[in-house]
Amino acid sequence: MLDKNLKNKIAMIFLWGNGLVTIVILALIIGYVLVKGLPAMSLEFIFTSPKGVTQSGGIFPTIIASIYVTGLSILIGAPVAVGAAIYLSEYTKEGRITQIIRFGADALAGVPSIVLGLFGLSLFVYILGLGWSMLSGALTLILMILPIIMRTTEDALQAVPNAWRQGSVGLGATKWQTIRKVVLPAATPRIMTGIVLGVGRVFGETAAVMFTAGLAINIPFLPNEPGRTMTSHLYLLATEGTSMRTAYGTALLLMGIILIFNLGARRLFGGSKVRR
Amino acid sequence: MRLKEQILEKVFLLSAFAAVVGVILVFIFVSIKGIPIIKSIGITKFIFGLDWAPTDKHYGILPLIIGSFIVTFGALLIGAPMAIGTAIFLSEIAPSQIKAIVRPAVELLAGIPSVIYGFFGLIIIVPLVRMVFGGSGFGLLTGWLVLAIMILPTIATISEDAIGAVPRSYREASYGMGATKWQTIWRVVLPACKKGLMGATILGMGRAIGETMALLMVLGNAPVVPKSLTAPASALTSIIALDMSYASGDHQVALFAMGIVLFLISFSFVGLIRLVSSRG
Amino acid sequence: MRKCSRRPSGRPKLLALLLLVSIGTGCARGGAQKTVSVSGSTTIFAVAQAAAEEFNKRNPDVKVTVQGGGSSAGIEAAITGAGDIGMSSRDLKDEELKAGLAEHIIAIDAIAIIVNPDNPIEKLNARQVRDIFDGKIANWRQVGGKDVPIVLVNRDEASGTREAFLKKVMEGKKFSKDAVIQPGSGQVRSIVASTPAAIGYMSLGYVTPEVKVIEYDGTRPSKESIFKGKYKLSRKLKLFTKGRAKGATKKFIDFFLGDWVQKNIVSVEFIPVRG
Repeated sequence: MLDKNLKNKIAMIFLWGNGLVTIVILALIIGYVLVKGLPAMSLEFIFTSPKGVTQSGGIFPTIIASIYVTGLSILIGAPVAVGAAIYLSEYTKEGRITQIIRFGADALAGVPSIVLGLFGLSLFVYILGLGWSMLSGALTLILMILPIIMRTTEDALQAVPNAWRQGSVGLGATKWQTIRKVVLPAATPRIMTGIVLGVGRVFGETAAVMFTAGLAINIPFLPNEPGRTMTSHLYLLATEGTSMRTAYGTALLLMGIILIFNLGARRLFGGSKVRR
Repeated sequence: MRLKEQILEKVFLLSAFAAVVGVILVFIFVSIKGIPIIKSIGITKFIFGLDWAPTDKHYGILPLIIGSFIVTFGALLIGAPMAIGTAIFLSEIAPSQIKAIVRPAVELLAGIPSVIYGFFGLIIIVPLVRMVFGGSGFGLLTGWLVLAIMILPTIATISEDAIGAVPRSYREASYGMGATKWQTIWRVVLPACKKGLMGATILGMGRAIGETMALLMVLGNAPVVPKSLTAPASALTSIIALDMSYASGDHQVALFAMGIVLFLISFSFVGLIRLVSSRG
Repeated sequence: MRKCSRRPSGRPKLLALLLLVSIGTGCARGGAQKTVSVSGSTTIFAVAQAAAEEFNKRNPDVKVTVQGGGSSAGIEAAITGAGDIGMSSRDLKDEELKAGLAEHIIAIDAIAIIVNPDNPIEKLNARQVRDIFDGKIANWRQVGGKDVPIVLVNRDEASGTREAFLKKVMEGKKFSKDAVIQPGSGQVRSIVASTPAAIGYMSLGYVTPEVKVIEYDGTRPSKESIFKGKYKLSRKLKLFTKGRAKGATKKFIDFFLGDWVQKNIVSVEFIPVRG
């Protein structure tokens, strides 16, 4: 039987080591991508198109395609998600209906992204005939952000003190007036956080957009045009191996953008903790 | 005025059901393309078939199902203890300055897209495994390591919440009786939040079984039950991603049917989490 | 990417809203064909992408987009009308022959068999290569090399290169299922370059000094040996269109076959059919 203090010491060493390993892994991933990607980084890399047979050169069209599908999906998806959260938090009490809605949201959040990709391919690309396009990609991604934004928004709304609502109603305001003038303004920073987290999530998605937005290198203008996102581009570059330098650069830019989103989300929320 | 209020409520109600409708739509439209498998190949031949060889028109997915589960459980075995350890470290041990670095680090780790984990695996872990164990470097072990790193932040953040929710008074009582820190953690704190830790682990499991891009890039994609740790393997997700772009006819139907299988697996995980977290 | 006339009609009304967006934007272009969608073989992809880049520069009124996906996907897209041009590095299968596709040969390519530069093996005959890829020969010793297990690297089934290899080398034998499968030539090359016991195959255009090309059945692949038909693992790279090419599609194919593309782009990776 080990002495309890010795045992304690061993356990502490293990737990410290554990924490350290986590930091080392993170540092390794970010550090390696940074070191390898920086040499590829330049204004030219960001603002020109891939060149020639090796697809080296810039990645401008893929940046635009990523922004396009992400923006379009947030534009359509965020209002729906916020509306859903308003209903859950303001218009109804816990019961059968909310249970169904919550289970639906959880189930949707659990669907693997490749299955969402299959769904988008089946419905939007084939059955609706939208083809590989920004619109097909964005509509598919909506299903991904819906549960994320719903949950964060609901948390945000619930954090608004009940007394404020009662005060507003007491002054003769209707329910909607109370929500619009009192609840929503108070919850806005945290709702924005949820939306930004959603942006970070879909911006980094690959499997769901590969089969819906297409793989063509194209600067999309209209929603029915195809485009290759940064994530798909990175995947193809990494497997085709024609230009590893461009792959490293793409990885760095992609990671940088997403880290900025996530850090920004934390900042918006005043530094306290948020989870996806 | 009244009318506007009522309309708005209906609009919000409609939005609230968007997620439910979404799940149902996903199931319907993946099924529409996948259900014909029953007629063309037969459900038993499909689920229990041992041979995945689309060129020979053999569509048995048992090796892929087994592959998915072996990859998931291996990653869980490596990743979950590390994640829970990190969570304990963060909530019970780490001084606040270190906590201020590690906690955001773990959260950032959770936000990194899977294609980057795959890329990282491809350029770092694959050569590493090749160097140490020989072979091609692509295979089960590499998949475990990459996936373990990926699920670590998911499990760690949720576990930390669960551990943090254990009332302070429990710990104080334990210390008061002369217990060491480890004894307090092991005998008091962890048992008190067992349910939360289990929920976190199942969530990590869900993430692992649905992971696609990273596995596609490091697993080696041989559609067989791996014979050794360094032998190439496949998962349901990675084969769908690999084949989808060109599959046609029965092959495409089989891929969509694999999508149904994945959907049902993930759905049962969500149900499992509900079960675990609702039982007192 | 799709032409308005091809949009299937009679969809449920519920979805009209979604469609409004795409039709409103998609069909505002008027009569003449303005986009050409090319998809298929990853072998041809890079060359086609480069050709499209130049074509788009010279013809600002037309937009050519190029997608990968593998030969089968490209042929499928050409047949169903999901795309205008399918790129293929293999011949049509029986069931595809009936679809009425027109063939345009744009280059000739060879499949090189590659090993790690440290591997002492310099040549293999057809039978040895077949037995290695079928799994019967599992150790380099059996073909006169070192005593190490062979690491097989194969391509995914979407690959036209894999299909051509299967047809020309395997002669009815099946690929070993224990091979590492890679979705792109780059990774095949990277594995072979860094794994001493690996063997793989890829389009000659993708070969770099990191890997060693071996003699197949007594001949080393080169422009000359391929052109004279001495190197047996060669194939034609093709574009397929549904029926005869028309409009902008024809213009792009003519451009592809023209001297400029053949000389400046195709010849970088393959053997041009012209010039």
